[in-house]
Order: sequence, then structure tokens, then C-alpha cells
Amino acid sequence: MSARLVGPALPAAPSPTINAALARAAEGPEGITLVDAREEETFVTYAELRASARGVAAALLDRGVRPGDRVAIVLPTGRDFLDAFFGAQLAGAVPVPLYPPVRLGRMDEYALATARMLMAVGAAAVLTDRRVQLLLGRAVERARPRLGCHAVASLRGSGAGVEVEVTAGALGVIQFSSGSTVDPKPVALTHGQLVAQCASLRALVTAPDGERTVGVAWLPLYHDMGLIGCLLSAVTFPGHLVLLGPETFLARPALWLRALSRHRGTISPAPSFAYGVCVKRVRDDDLAGVDLSSWRHALNGAEPVSVDGALRFAERFAPCGFRREAMMPVYGLSEAALALTFTPSAGEKRSLAVDPDALAATGRVRPGSRRIASVGLAVPGAEVEVRDGGHRPVGEGEVGRVWARAPFLMEGYFGQAEATARALREGWLDTGDLGFVDGGELFLCGRARDLVIVRGANHAPQEFEDALEAVEGLRTGCAVALGYAPAGVDGEQLLVLAEAATPSESLARRAAEAVAERTGVRPHALELLAPGTLPRTSSGKLRRAEALRRYLAGTLRPPGPTGALALGVEMARSAAGFARSRLP
Amino acid sequence: MAELAAEVLAEVRRVARDELDVEGPIDRASTLQGELRLDSVGLIVVAVALENRFRVRLQEEDAGELATVGDLVALVCRRVDEQQCPAGSA
Repeated sequence: MSARLVGPALPAAPSPTINAALARAAEGPEGITLVDAREEETFVTYAELRASARGVAAALLDRGVRPGDRVAIVLPTGRDFLDAFFGAQLAGAVPVPLYPPVRLGRMDEYALATARMLMAVGAAAVLTDRRVQLLLGRAVERARPRLGCHAVASLRGSGAGVEVEVTAGALGVIQFSSGSTVDPKPVALTHGQLVAQCASLRALVTAPDGERTVGVAWLPLYHDMGLIGCLLSAVTFPGHLVLLGPETFLARPALWLRALSRHRGTISPAPSFAYGVCVKRVRDDDLAGVDLSSWRHALNGAEPVSVDGALRFAERFAPCGFRREAMMPVYGLSEAALALTFTPSAGEKRSLAVDPDALAATGRVRPGSRRIASVGLAVPGAEVEVRDGGHRPVGEGEVGRVWARAPFLMEGYFGQAEATARALREGWLDTGDLGFVDGGELFLCGRARDLVIVRGANHAPQEFEDALEAVEGLRTGCAVALGYAPAGVDGEQLLVLAEAATPSESLARRAAEAVAERTGVRPHALELLAPGTLPRTSSGKLRRAEALRRYLAGTLRPPGPTGALALGVEMARSAAGFARSRLP
Repeated sequence: MAELAAEVLAEVRRVARDELDVEGPIDRASTLQGELRLDSVGLIVVAVALENRFRVRLQEEDAGELATVGDLVALVCRRVDEQQCPAGSA
């Protein structure tokens, strides 16, 4: 059996573009409920939304926005975001949602990262609100968008609205993928690709006759799962959508479950860590009267799925009516618009216990102690194939690189022909993920591309590695940052391997502090290694994936010198062993 | 020190009123999330204004200890103080 999954036929989307979908949604009664941190709600119908978006579109055209222009949107979840996003689309422009500042500190890096993203798409304008505008000065100054930076409030109410006709082949959105801060990858998707992804998702989550589809989401709208999976899906197949801000969920996770209960939510996605956060932080008295029995699809994706975490969630919230089979691991990536595989919505979900050492050392799947969740079958319209290094399909039970083909694969990385050519080959996308097929279902077990996903957020390894440059005692440019799933811990964690001439516990601690302070992510483990231990290419570049493979297989060793030098290295190694500390 | 604290409080009031349209009296006992109704963006706007005015740095880790305007004033005063006499040099 070859490791190839072929999804069912893709049903036609009801509208050829998002603009047409919004016009269609505006004919019905449905809309979006916005929930704030105090659980106060505002409801806006799609008709009202379209009317205000047409007003914003008119103002944008008035200010010089031309069809195809990229319009960056830097806003938290809220009415302004919706008006700006659809306003840009109705003006025939391409909305580019970017993350707003949400944390204290590190504003220098925020300004730099935002400026890089604005420049990567050649943004013509930035849309924001009056408060965020106060924080965007330096980013805007650096990127100099042609038409400047505008508060959405200043674009409303300028007379009659307009709408520019767009085709299915026109770009509908640019979303940022991995490594946004160091090497931003702007994923460009057409209107046709967006509605095709929505049609594929819809076929997977159909409700029984007569049941109303109600989506509930707190996921950021600058990310595919929130934007395409929730917002654009709800517009394309008009249904009620309940939106909370990600910061609201993080401050009070119970508000997500309470919104699901209040609105009889049927579908709500979240990354694996969020289910763990609920188990840990939601108290019984937050749950008075909460009923989760309507929740048919608890999609679990955007980062490696923790089997134990999913089970703990199902157990913890079973008394509230949560149905265990509702938990659905899914897989996708922004380069494929969003989803590539889904576990079936009915019945038990599969998982396999594999031997992590055999997997790391030989690429073979053997029974063992590490439990991996099935991410299911190819979604409608998609094909998924596991291939070896020579691009040949492997057999079932063999680990290889996951490739995919679908009508909703990205057009490419905006303005980056070389990177696009590396990712897309003959119509197939190299996902950069490692996996295998067992019993006709896809299982993921690692990543060949350099990317660290912590709490659902993608990070380029360079972000963490750069933070080590200033740490005295570390060798410059001799460190790798990796994502891995340590035993007994939920979700992917950050592992840092760094070479040091004289390793010590205090050095390891200082290095971990530097990473945490600069990036906001604390390494789960940081190991100091003797010089020369990390594998490199012939040109001296560090090989991150190989370093991780050797680390997991326990074969990461310094080069084997002789004589007095060997003694020195042995001493350094024992010091490294001493410094090997699992950081809190 | 008391003078500095008064200056910080005045700056918090100015930003809250002029930039964030907060209404009503603001004193040290006012809660940031409750009475000032600051969300995460609002808190960052106030923090960045204080950083620029008093040449200090506030970090993500600081957010946990901030419940009232008084907490924020005390934090900024402490940071100004640390800058003037760095730990270990006194």
C-alpha cells in the first residue's frame, strides 16, 4: 500500500469570490456576535457589515487605493477589524492582517517585525484604530506605506458605499506564515482559493437537518484558523459566528466555554495548548450552568496534537455535556489556505503508540511509548502523499515528507519567486512536515523545515538563536533552536542546543533568560555542548533537523579527538552533562 | 521620590484622558481593568507613554503585578530608581 490519501470530490462553492459571498450573506438574517472581556455582546448582521464595509471601500478608493494594492490591517478582534478587512476586499484591494501589539515590553522588536512585514508585501496603506496607531509610529516610519496609516473610524460614513468587481483569480488575502519576525513569508491566496477551502471545510462539518451552524472562535484573525476557518467560512456559508479576542481567552479561558454554551455553538477550533489551558485554569464555579452538548466539532490543530491533553479535556468537561467524539484532530498549514486533513467527525479518533528512538534513528514506525494522534483523512479536494528524499512515494508505516495537492494551495509567497519555487513543485506543496500513513490515516511525527511552534504560534529558529548572540560565554553562531515534544509534557516545546567552551549551570541559566526576555518564549530545555558537536553542512551551516534527530536518538556527540585534547573535551562533556538542566 | 510619583500619576491621567478617552477621576486606588477599563492595547499605550517620558523599560513579566494605578506608579518609580543606582553599585 502506498502512502497516498485522496480526499473526496470538492463541492462547488456557492460564491466565486468573498465579495460575492458577503453580498449573498447580506440577504439573510445571520451575523456576527462580538463578545468583550466583560462578556458584553454586540451583534452585527452581515447586511450591516457589508454596508459599513462598502463605506470603508469608498473611503479607501477616495484616498488612492487601487485594485490589487495591499492594505495592511493591524487591529485586535472587533468591529474595526471586520470593517477594515471587508472594506479592503470590496475596494478590490488585498487585505493583509498583521498582529497588533498585545504584550507589554519588546516594542522595539514589534516595530521592526511589523515594518518587515509591511515591506514584504509592499503595503500601500495601514488600517488600524486610534489607540494602536499611537504604537505604530516607528513601523510606519520605517516601511513608509504610500498612502499612510489610517484609523478605521476616520474612513466611515463618507456617503454612499461602493464595491469594485473582483474575479476569482484576484488575490483575496495575504497571510503571514512561519518565521514572521526574521524572514516573513507572505502567503498569497486568491478569492477562488479562499472559497474553495471554505467549501471543503463545509463538507466536513455539515450539521444534521434543521440544526443551525454556530461557530465560536477566539483565535486571532491574523491567522488562517481564525480568519479562513471561522470568519470567511461563516460568510461563505452564512451562519452565526461568535467572536472573542485571543487576549480575552488567555485572560479568562472560561469565557470561551461560556460563549459556546450561551450560543449553542456547534463548531469551534483551537490549538492543542488551549484545551490544556482550559483543564488547568477553568474552575468549577466558572462553569455554573455551562452546557457543551451542542459542540459537535472541537477541532484541534495548528500545532502538534497532544493525545493525553485531548483526553483530559474530554474527561474534565464531560460533566458539562462535552462529547468525547467531538474532539477532532486536524492538520493543515497556511500555504494550503488552512486544512489538509481532518479526522472523521463520528466515532473514536485513532492514535498510535510508537517508539520515538526508532523513529528518530531509522524513520521506521515501531510500537513504543510515545502516543501520536491521527490527523485523519484528506479533506475534500486534497491529496496527501508521503515521499522519501528522492520525491518517491513511500509505503505505509514509513516516515517521509508530507506533500499535498489541492485547489486551495497558495498562489505563492508574495514577491518571493525563489521561496515559492522551493515550496511548490509541479503543483504539489512540500509541507516540510514529516509523517507516515497507517491504516489509511495520516500521522505526523516531526518537521523537516526549520520552524518552532509553541502554543500555536510559529517561530523561525533564528528568533531564538539571535537572542543568544549577546550571551557571554556562548560561541557566536553555534546554537540551534528546535521544536520538540518532550515526554510527559503537552504540546511542542522549545529546545535550545548551544556550544560553549566552558559550560556551566549559570551560563545555561543566563542563556535561557536571554531567550525568554527577547522572545517571550522560555526554553523547555537548554543544553550546552562541547564545541564542534552540532552537525554542519560542508559549507559550515548548522543542520537543525539533523541536530534534533541526533539529539532524540541520543547520538549527539562531539567530534572524536585524541590525546590531551580528548581529555579536555571529555571534561567539557561532563561539564555539559552537569549543565544539562531542564528549565522550569 | 514623592515628586516623581506625582509626576508619573499626572502622566497616567493625561494619557488616559487625552489618548484613551477615560472619563471620571483617576487616583492611585483606581483599578486599571475595572475603573480605567484598560484592555491589553490600552495598557500598552499607557506603558509606552511612561517609558518614553521617564526613560524606563517595562516588561511583559511586569503586567502580572499591575492591578491599580498605584501599582503602575510604584513600578515606574522603582525602575527610575534602579536606573539611577543600579543594583550592586550602591
